Amino acid sequence: MKRILLAGVLLAAVCAGGLVVSAQNAAPAVQGIPRTADGHPDFTGIYQWPTYLPGDERGRSAATTFDRKNFSPLKPGGEAFLEPRTGDARHDEPRDFCMPAGFPGGILEGNAMQFFQTKDHLVMVHEFQRMTRIIPLDGRPHRTGLEPMFYGDPVGHWEGDTLVVETTNFTRWQLDDYFYTNQKEYRMHSDALKTTERIRWKSKTAMSYSLTIDDPKIFMRPWSQEFEILAKPEWDKQGLFEYVCEENNRCPGGKCETK
Amino acid sequence: MSYRTLWSGLVAAALLTFAGSTSLLAHHSFAAEFDETKPVKMTGVITKVEWKNPHIWFYLDIKGADGRVENWGFSGGAPGQLMRRGVMKDALKLGATVVVEGFRAKDGSNNASGARVTFPDGSNVLTAGTQDRLPGAPAGGGR
Repeated sequence: MKRILLAGVLLAAVCAGGLVVSAQNAAPAVQGIPRTADGHPDFTGIYQWPTYLPGDERGRSAATTFDRKNFSPLKPGGEAFLEPRTGDARHDEPRDFCMPAGFPGGILEGNAMQFFQTKDHLVMVHEFQRMTRIIPLDGRPHRTGLEPMFYGDPVGHWEGDTLVVETTNFTRWQLDDYFYTNQKEYRMHSDALKTTERIRWKSKTAMSYSLTIDDPKIFMRPWSQEFEILAKPEWDKQGLFEYVCEENNRCPGGKCETK
Repeated sequence: MSYRTLWSGLVAAALLTFAGSTSLLAHHSFAAEFDETKPVKMTGVITKVEWKNPHIWFYLDIKGADGRVENWGFSGGAPGQLMRRGVMKDALKLGATVVVEGFRAKDGSNNASGARVTFPDGSNVLTAGTQDRLPGAPAGGGR
């Protein structure tokens, strides 16, 4: 009996310790953040995607591509991750012809973003290419019967004060905007890509934005990279600037128009 | 290991890192449109400014060694990107004499990227896009 009692006390102590550890590992709640009527964090506002990272020279950004130190190893057959350049600009540089950067590539550009949140949706409008994503927040399943998309099909749900957005149904497209090796290849994701964004306030002025890339045709396992998004309420009056790519695209594919 | 050996190793490692990074260029439109082996630094008079997407263009009358004046176009970042950095359209005044640094257009036309504009008083503005190559700077490589 004493042994059973002792075992029970030890078990309870271990469980309590586990709860304490769990609580310490969970993201601490940020006090004083705006909330919607139903109590969720309100992400409405205008933000800056990290344009400069520590150590970057002025005007350059290393936050516009994924850092390969985060990548998981490639699967056998994952060589499709690196798309050989053909010399045809329309194949090698689709953005140069005003094709979309898509997601997640487009969100990495160093521009402003504006979020609009209602009870049922979060709308992200990105200044670069005016990329717009409309994310339902009610935990609904993904849509079916859609053609593959540049921006995929996102659905969101809450985990405490963290918004989790899962996106599927991508078309095969550039993962990010970077010449990877010796300018002969660039980085692609497959049509099996699934992304998971975890968005939460770190402080009253900065959000943690974690992006997980899960592409089972390319990578052995999912991998993640975290970014910090800064709130810029002082930009709200001015709003986002217009971006019409076709307005004055003088040198598409390297052939400059005569002026 | 002697200090000389250690120092040589560190220098070699640094050189290898730099060499690796310079082989990695940035940005779709930069690499598609401009030649990073052909840096330019040109002085001229601003004749026109197109503060438009997807990239601003500004034009200079540039006098060549033969005395002929040719008009050159220089491409910078998107207007929104520049304005968020604090670079406004009125920084490029018509009639101003400036020095522009960038890289020559691949098609050999009188066009170049225009990453930095320096004014007679020595001040400058960065007109480069977020990922444009800056003259004299290594590419943001290794990622």
